[in-house]
Amino acid sequence: MAKTEAVPKPVANLLVVRWSSLIIPGLGQFLSKKRTRGGLILLTIVVLAYLVNWSLVHQNIGKIDVGGVVTSWLWLPLALFWAWNVLDARALAVQKTSSPLIGILCAAIVLYVIAWEVTDVRLNRLVERFNDARTVATNLLNPDMITITVNGQDQICAWRCMDTYIGDKLAGRPVDGPIRASDNLLQIFGNLKLVPAARWQVDLGLATPGSKVKAFNAGSMIVTIAMGLMATLFSTILAIPISFFAARNIMARLPGGAVIYYVARGILNVVRAVDTIVWGLIVIVWVGLGSFAGVIALTIHSVAALGKLFSEEIEHIDPGPVEAVTATGANLIQVIRYAVIPQIVPSFLAYSLLRWDINMRSATVIGFVAGGGIGFFVIETVRMGGYQQYATALWAVVVVIVLVDFISGKWREAILKDQPQKDKNTSRPFWNGLRVAFYTILGLLVFIYCWNLSEINLGNLFSPGSNFGLLIKDFVTIDLSPDVLQPTIQQLIVTIFQAFLATTLGALVALPFSFLAARNLTGRSRLSVWIYYLTRALFNVLRSIEALLYVVIFIFWVGIGPFAGMLALAVTSFALIGKLFSEAIENIETGPIEAVNATGANRLQMIVYAILPQITPPFVSYLIYQWDINIRMATIIGFAGGGGIGLTLTTFFGSLEYHKAGTVVAFIVIIVALMDFASAKLRQTLV
Amino acid sequence: MLKVENLSKIYPNGTRALKNVSFEVKDGEFLAVIGLSGSGKSTLLRCINRLIEPTSGKIYWNDQDVTAASASEMRKIRRQIGMVFQQFNLVKRSSVLSNVLSGRLGYVNTLPSALHLFSAADNSKAFASLGQVGLAEKSHVRADSLSGGQQQRVGIARALMQDPKLILADEPVASLDPVLAHTILKYLEQLNKERGITVLCSLHFLDLVHRYATSAIALKDGEMVFQGLPKQIDDAQFKAIYGQEAERVSLL
Repeated sequence: MAKTEAVPKPVANLLVVRWSSLIIPGLGQFLSKKRTRGGLILLTIVVLAYLVNWSLVHQNIGKIDVGGVVTSWLWLPLALFWAWNVLDARALAVQKTSSPLIGILCAAIVLYVIAWEVTDVRLNRLVERFNDARTVATNLLNPDMITITVNGQDQICAWRCMDTYIGDKLAGRPVDGPIRASDNLLQIFGNLKLVPAARWQVDLGLATPGSKVKAFNAGSMIVTIAMGLMATLFSTILAIPISFFAARNIMARLPGGAVIYYVARGILNVVRAVDTIVWGLIVIVWVGLGSFAGVIALTIHSVAALGKLFSEEIEHIDPGPVEAVTATGANLIQVIRYAVIPQIVPSFLAYSLLRWDINMRSATVIGFVAGGGIGFFVIETVRMGGYQQYATALWAVVVVIVLVDFISGKWREAILKDQPQKDKNTSRPFWNGLRVAFYTILGLLVFIYCWNLSEINLGNLFSPGSNFGLLIKDFVTIDLSPDVLQPTIQQLIVTIFQAFLATTLGALVALPFSFLAARNLTGRSRLSVWIYYLTRALFNVLRSIEALLYVVIFIFWVGIGPFAGMLALAVTSFALIGKLFSEAIENIETGPIEAVNATGANRLQMIVYAILPQITPPFVSYLIYQWDINIRMATIIGFAGGGGIGLTLTTFFGSLEYHKAGTVVAFIVIIVALMDFASAKLRQTLV
Repeated sequence: MLKVENLSKIYPNGTRALKNVSFEVKDGEFLAVIGLSGSGKSTLLRCINRLIEPTSGKIYWNDQDVTAASASEMRKIRRQIGMVFQQFNLVKRSSVLSNVLSGRLGYVNTLPSALHLFSAADNSKAFASLGQVGLAEKSHVRADSLSGGQQQRVGIARALMQDPKLILADEPVASLDPVLAHTILKYLEQLNKERGITVLCSLHFLDLVHRYATSAIALKDGEMVFQGLPKQIDDAQFKAIYGQEAERVSLL
C-alpha cells in the first residue's frame, strides 16, 4: 500500500476535524489518523457512561440531589473527560502533541469511586474488627505442629513453647513432658498405620494372609502432590496430539485444515477461560466428590492451557527443516516426526514443568469444591474454627510450593539452555543404561503410588452421577431472564472492579519493595544483602499461597464479601507484581546508566533519565497482565466467601439450577476471553 | 531433462515473483541462476519441486508434468530431486546421522520411519554419504555442534541419500565464509561430473558462475533477462542484470 504524503488539509476539513469530537467523542482523533486513540476514547465514554448510570440506578453510587433532580456527581468528571477529548482533538488536528494525562485522570476518578463502592471497601472494618483479627493472627502465627504433654494433658506447642523446650533441654534443665508431632501435622503429611497386608505383600512372602502390617498412610498434602503430578502427566499426554490440530502451519498442509485449526483453537480458548475451580464444580456432578474429581478438573484446564502453549510453539519452529524434509519426498507424518518433533521437545518439556508448578498451586485449593487434598482439609478445619490447624496447612503449602517452584524453575532453565553435549564418549554406556533403568523404575513406582493415592478410577468416567445428564442438557441452554441477567451483570462488574482495585493496591505496595528486591540496585553492604534476601523470600512465600486460602483469613477480619476477596487478591498481586517488577529492574541495561553518570548527573537524575524510561514499559505491561490474572482469580474468589461472580455460580450450582449456572459460565468465558485478548493487544502496543 | 514453460508466480500479497519464465536444463548440466536478491531465484527453485505452488505455467521433469502431479506422485518426483539450502535447514537438535537419514524418507514406509527404524542398507548408505563429504566421524554429534561449512556438507549428504537425478541448490554458499564457498561448490561439481547429476544452483558471485557452471540464466524482477553460456555475460549483460550502478566484485 502506498503511503500518502502529508498534504496541507483544506480549512473546512480542518474545522470538521477540530470540532467533530464535540459530537462524537474520539471522531476528531480518528480523522487525524490517531485511530487507536479515537477508538479508545469512544469506548471509554460509552463504558463509563454505562457504569455511572448503572451504579446510580442499582447501587445509589454518587447520588446527589440538585434542585429536586436526583443524579450522580460522577457525570461531572465524565463531562470533563468529554471536554478534554474536544481539546485533544483540536490539538491533534493542527498536528500538535497533546498529553492524555487529564483524560486519564478524569476516567480514573470515575473508575475508582465506583470500584471503591461496589467492592464494598470499608476501611473502618480493618480497625473495628482488629481484636478479632488479632485473635486469628495469633492463632495463625502459632501453628499446631507439635504436641507437648504437660501433667498428662496434651497441649499445642508452638514457636515460643518450642524455644523454651529446646533451650531448657540444651541447658540441661528439667522439661515438661514428652513432645511429638501433633495429630494435625500427621494428618497433613501422613503417618504409619496398621493395615491389613496387601495381596502383593502376601504373594512375596513378606506377610501372612490376614495379618496387619505397618503402612504409610498419606496425609492430605501428599495427596495434593499426587494430584498435581497426575494432572500434569495426563494433561501433557493429552495436549500433545491436540496441539497439532491447533497449529496453523501444520493444519495448512491438510485439506480442510483451516476449519480444524479454528475449531481446535476456539475450544482451547473456551476451556481455558473457565477456571480449574469452576471445572471442579462441573466434574463433581460427573464423578462425585474426591481427589479423582480434583485430578480431572486440574487436567481439563491444564490440557487447554498446555494445548495453546504447545500449538504456539509448533507454529514458531524454524520452517527450514520442514521445507528440507518435505523436499525429500516425505509425507506429513514423516515431516512431523523428523522436522517438527525434534525441534519442539525442549520447549514442550519446559512448558510441562511450568504447568506442574501451576497445577500444584491449583491442587492446593481444588479441594474447596471438589474434595480431596489439602483444600478439603482447610475447609474442614476452618469450619470448626481451627485456625491453629489451618496455619499448619498454610506452612505445609508454603514449603511444598516454594520447593516445587524452585525445582521447576531450575529444571526449565537447564532444559531451555539446550546445549549439545560436548563429548558423548566419556560416559560409559553400561552406567548410562543402569541409570536410565533406575529412573524408569523409580518413575513407574511414583506413578503407581500417585495413581492409587489420588483415587483414580477410570470406570467412574463412564458411569456419571445421576445429575450429570441434567447438567449437560441444561448447561447449553442460555437463560437470559432478568432474574439471571441482573445478578450476573452486577456480580461481573463487582468481579472486574475487585480485580482492578486489587491490582492497584498490590502494585502500590509492591513498588517500593521491588526496588529492595533488585540485586543491581541494592548495595553491597551486609544489611542491604539481607534486605534483598528477605524481600525475595517474602514475595516467594506470599506467592505460594493461593488467593482462595487468603480469603479464609480476610473474611474473619473484614467479614464475608467483595472487600475480603479484594484484599486476598491484593496480597497475591503484591507478591507476583513485586517479583516481576524486581526482575524487570534487574534486567535493565547498564549502558544508559553509565552514559548518564558520565555526564555528571546525580543519583536522582540517573534514576529519572536512565532507569525510569527502561522500566516503565515492562511495569505497565505487568500491571495489565496482573489485572488479567486477577479477573480470572476474582471469578472464583466467591467460593470461599470473597464475593463476586463465584458466589452467584455456587448458589446456582448448589440449587441444581444448571441452566442458570451455564449462563453465568458463558458470561465468565466471554469476559475472561475479552480481557485476555484486550490485555494481549494492549501489552503489544505498549511494549 | 527439466523443462520450464511460461512459469509465473504471484504471491497472495500481490508480489509477482516470476513472470513467464521458460527454459530447459539438459541432463548433466550445471546451470547457474543469477540475479539480485528478490529477483525470484528462490521462488523459481521452489516451484520446480512445488514447495511453492506456481500460479501458472508448466514444469516437465523427464516428460512428466510436475504441476499436474497428485500428492503421492509429487512425493515420488521429489525424492528424485535433492535440495540444498542457503540456511542448511538441518534439524539442529538431531544428530548428523538422523539428519542424513531423513533424506531417505521418500523411499521408506511411514510406520517404521516414524519409529526411526531404517534398514541396514539405508544406514550404510548414510555413512557412505557422510564419508563422501568427509564427515563420517561426526555421525553421532548434534547438527548444531558443527560449523557452517560442515552443516552444509551434511545438507549435501542428505540430498545424496535420495539418489537424486537433479539437485536444486538455493544459494548454497551465501551463508558461508567466502573461503568455504569453493569447498561446497567443488562437492557439487564432483557430483555433477562424476555421477552425472544435473545441478541447478542459484549463485551471487559471477566468478563462481564462471568457474563452475556450464550454462546460466539470469532473473531480474521475476523476468528472465539472460540465457546462455557463463562466459557470454559481459559488462553490458552484467549491467542489464544487476543495474547500472552495480560493480563487479571478485571472490578470492
